Amino acid sequence: MKFMKIAAAIGLAAAALATVSTTAFAQTVDEIIARGKLIVAIDTTTPPYAFLDADLKPTGFDIEVANKMGEALGVPVEFVTVTSPGRIPSLLTKQVDMVVSIFSITPARAIQIDYSIPYAGQSAVVIAPKSTEIKSHADLVGKKVGLTRGAAEDAILTAAAAANPGIEILRFDDYPSLMQAMLSGQIDVMGGGDYGEIYLKKSAGGDDFEQKYPLKTFFFGIGFNKEADDLRQWVNTWLMIQKADGVLDALSMKYRNQPLPALPVF
Amino acid sequence: MQTALQFGPVLVHFDRLMHGVVQTLYLSFWSIILGAIIGILGAVGRSFGPRWVSLPIAAYVELIRNTPLLIQLYFVFFTLPLLGLRFSSHTAAIIALSVHLGAYATEILRAGVESVSKGQLEAARSLGLKPYRIIRHVVLAQAVRAVYPALSAQFILQLMGTSIVGAIAAEELTAIANNLVMDTFRSFEVYITIAVIYFVLIQGASLFFAGLGRLLFRWKV
Repeated sequence: MKFMKIAAAIGLAAAALATVSTTAFAQTVDEIIARGKLIVAIDTTTPPYAFLDADLKPTGFDIEVANKMGEALGVPVEFVTVTSPGRIPSLLTKQVDMVVSIFSITPARAIQIDYSIPYAGQSAVVIAPKSTEIKSHADLVGKKVGLTRGAAEDAILTAAAAANPGIEILRFDDYPSLMQAMLSGQIDVMGGGDYGEIYLKKSAGGDDFEQKYPLKTFFFGIGFNKEADDLRQWVNTWLMIQKADGVLDALSMKYRNQPLPALPVF
Repeated sequence: MQTALQFGPVLVHFDRLMHGVVQTLYLSFWSIILGAIIGILGAVGRSFGPRWVSLPIAAYVELIRNTPLLIQLYFVFFTLPLLGLRFSSHTAAIIALSVHLGAYATEILRAGVESVSKGQLEAARSLGLKPYRIIRHVVLAQAVRAVYPALSAQFILQLMGTSIVGAIAAEELTAIANNLVMDTFRSFEVYITIAVIYFVLIQGASLFFAGLGRLLFRWKV
């Protein structure tokens, strides 16, 4: 008897949870407007895309994109903080309407969730002093190339060094050591994210550096539950207009000091 | 989720780990030789030199013994280039490790030097021995013997100390192990493997120094 009561209680609780999660989730634009808010998953540990400002309010590139979307729909945005591995589960369990959080588009992820067209992108690039003439891997021969152990650049440049004998690879444990090596001239070239030179430029003599060529570009899409076709269609339409009006490039200049890479569509 | 330990993916890269062992031994060998030379010169200079020699040596010993090895590595690799002194990762590592060991060896050997009684020095002088011979045969021979256990322990610490030079991109066993972790994502297995390798290396070094001690100090006291 007691067991039955506990089971019933658990069943009720589960039903209540299920109700909460279904009411939180909206599949169509109409449902979002009727509900009066847009629920967006973010990760506030990804500067300059999403981070907490001095007042501990979320800010950054992704946050502004989400807020502009809310404005266009005429509803406020409610942010739900997730970790990077928590992004797909938050969509599958219908806790949020969408994920706007440097969500790189990969075929493996697209098996479980749907993506909007790319709204941003980031490249791993080769950075060197302006006076150094570098256009491709072949120009790295005879140079000391620094990188962060295990970063995306590591695999690409290690393969380049294997194909072009004479490239010396120096692996550092973290980004500050890598930048210090670049600034003190211990390396000739470094691999890093395309916003890396923002940080170099803050250092003495940092103005002498520039991006040489991209290694690989990652494209970010907004993530949806596979049932949310209506909403995704509206977001794609909205993104197309934002791209055409230069809104996304302006945001990129504001947070990344440079325009976005060319964004493909699908 | 694979939680069981699998050493296969790590052991196929055993040649890379062996390359790391060679690099670790190379760094240890040269920094111990150079550090020991600095230590002998430092101890003699500090004990017998005039003030303008002993004071700078005292300052050097205090400066090095009161700063971390990692900061000394950064200084040689990142800061000296701003003064026009540029060294490769490996050379910078050997310089920093030698200077580091030199300070500790100076202090250890100085204790040995001061354990030699003044009476022996006076006896040597009255026998007409030249200052060089007094220092070489009377002082240093006895001083090294007296502090040999402490000195060899410091040398072995030096071998372990080489594990942080990956911070300035020098390749040695630990840095190569970190590369392997990134390649294989088998951190437990990699670190367990290099722990075993370090254990063998350090046991081997202990045996070597013990044997060397027996060979060097056969005379009776």
